[in-house]
Amino acid sequence: MNSNTVIEQQQAALPNPAALWVHEVLEPDQFSTAKQPFGRQALSRRTVILLWGLRVYVVLMVLLVALQTWNAIHSAM
Amino acid sequence: MSPEGTSTDFTEEDIKRAGDRRRVHILRTGKGGTRSLKLLWLLIGPGILVMLGENDGPSMISYAQTGASYGVGFFLPFIAVTFAMAFVIQEMTVRLGAATKRGHAELIYARFGRFWGFFAMADLVFGNLLTLVTEFIAVRAGLGFFGVPPAIAVLGALLVVVAVVLTRRYWTWERITLGFAIFNLIFVPVALLAHPVSSQVVRAFFTWGPLPGGVTAGFILLVMSNIGATVTPWMLFFQQSAVVDKGLTTADIRHGRIDTAIGAVLAAVAAIATVLATAPLFAHHVDASNLEGAAFAQALVPYVGNVGATLFAIGIFEAGLVAAITISSSSAYAFGEVTGTARSLNSPLREGWLFYAVLIAAAAIAAALVLIPNAPLVLIVLLVNVIAVLAMPPAIVFLMLLVNDREIMGEHANGPMANFFGITVTILLVLAGLIFGMTTIFPHLLPS
Repeated sequence: MNSNTVIEQQQAALPNPAALWVHEVLEPDQFSTAKQPFGRQALSRRTVILLWGLRVYVVLMVLLVALQTWNAIHSAM
Repeated sequence: MSPEGTSTDFTEEDIKRAGDRRRVHILRTGKGGTRSLKLLWLLIGPGILVMLGENDGPSMISYAQTGASYGVGFFLPFIAVTFAMAFVIQEMTVRLGAATKRGHAELIYARFGRFWGFFAMADLVFGNLLTLVTEFIAVRAGLGFFGVPPAIAVLGALLVVVAVVLTRRYWTWERITLGFAIFNLIFVPVALLAHPVSSQVVRAFFTWGPLPGGVTAGFILLVMSNIGATVTPWMLFFQQSAVVDKGLTTADIRHGRIDTAIGAVLAAVAAIATVLATAPLFAHHVDASNLEGAAFAQALVPYVGNVGATLFAIGIFEAGLVAAITISSSSAYAFGEVTGTARSLNSPLREGWLFYAVLIAAAAIAAALVLIPNAPLVLIVLLVNVIAVLAMPPAIVFLMLLVNDREIMGEHANGPMANFFGITVTILLVLAGLIFGMTTIFPHLLPS
């Protein structure tokens, strides 16, 4: 094997000093391209009912706000 | 290998974040008397920004209306309690971000799926758009006191948002925004110029009174508005994403809590100062019900002088500007997390152009709406805090589900006390919304 090729291979195997300090101060999950995806959490029936209940609550309340706004505009006119 | 000689294992964003973390690492492993103070200096940011950012344009107007309508009394301790509530909620986002290294939107989509994620995003996008409009209204009102034309005020503020963001460095963005945010305390000298009676202030904190006029429909509206001035959905998304972008880890949770507590205290002081600053309007029976930002400053001249009124106007401008920066950032963070694209203020333009485009577009759309002739701006200002309160319960439920998820939180999941406070806050918010709903459907239930 050509000695230059061997040297290049040995140099490539050495850790890059820049890579070393970055890996020292960042945790594995902090690298922007290396985050492991989290799986889905199973929601209990009670939780789903709660979430739906709150969703209905928000929609109804927003309608009430719209109603109050409408009344306020008309009483001001 | 890139030209800089860095490994292709990480990106320019990672290198910038690592640069910030290296300073923390050096301090943690070093010695010296001022080490803990320097460490605190490095680690504060997201908590103070979210709390002072929440003292935005409509919030400061809400506090001003409170002081002008009720003077020194019930609302002083009430506002302090709302910031305690905000601390309880926001502290959970610190732990979530530090433990999972994921933003709030990303976690909701990952753990609950696209269906529930869509609802969370819809609340955030709708709420943020309305709120951003009110921030530019505040900018316009604050600078309007000095005779600055609306278009120049709004465009100037937009340019500042763009300039701060295009530093493409989280640390720089954070420090500049903190520098702006500290001006929220400008309401403190205004309060002092109003010469509040100390014994009245102390008595208000101990007795929660007086409450002139008792419980009326107007009182309920102001209660809702004040709650909405301290807890809103964008705060959850922003602080968690900022914690991740800043690179905080579980080792930094204690400092994250301190950061959030400092923010809550500073914001509460500024809020209470605003109530005290406008209390003379109540004492002198000035009708402040239709006053907007700049008009409040004008109305205060006889009581706090031209200096006080000027400071008040600057405070309204600052409140709008800082919130415009933080809220548009929360929209961009959420977009990046949900679409799997860049989601960091450390992103170079080449990789993060979409992130920056969404951030700037969010602010620009709101700025444009403010300049539309005859747009119902006063109405939007009044509504936005109420809508924030109404949208908060579902947001807190998602937060509680995530922060109790031991699979992702490990030992940093909520304990019983945190759950007790979190559930209590949720119940109080739902009750506040229901009471507001009842007074809307049955307007004669309470005196007006």
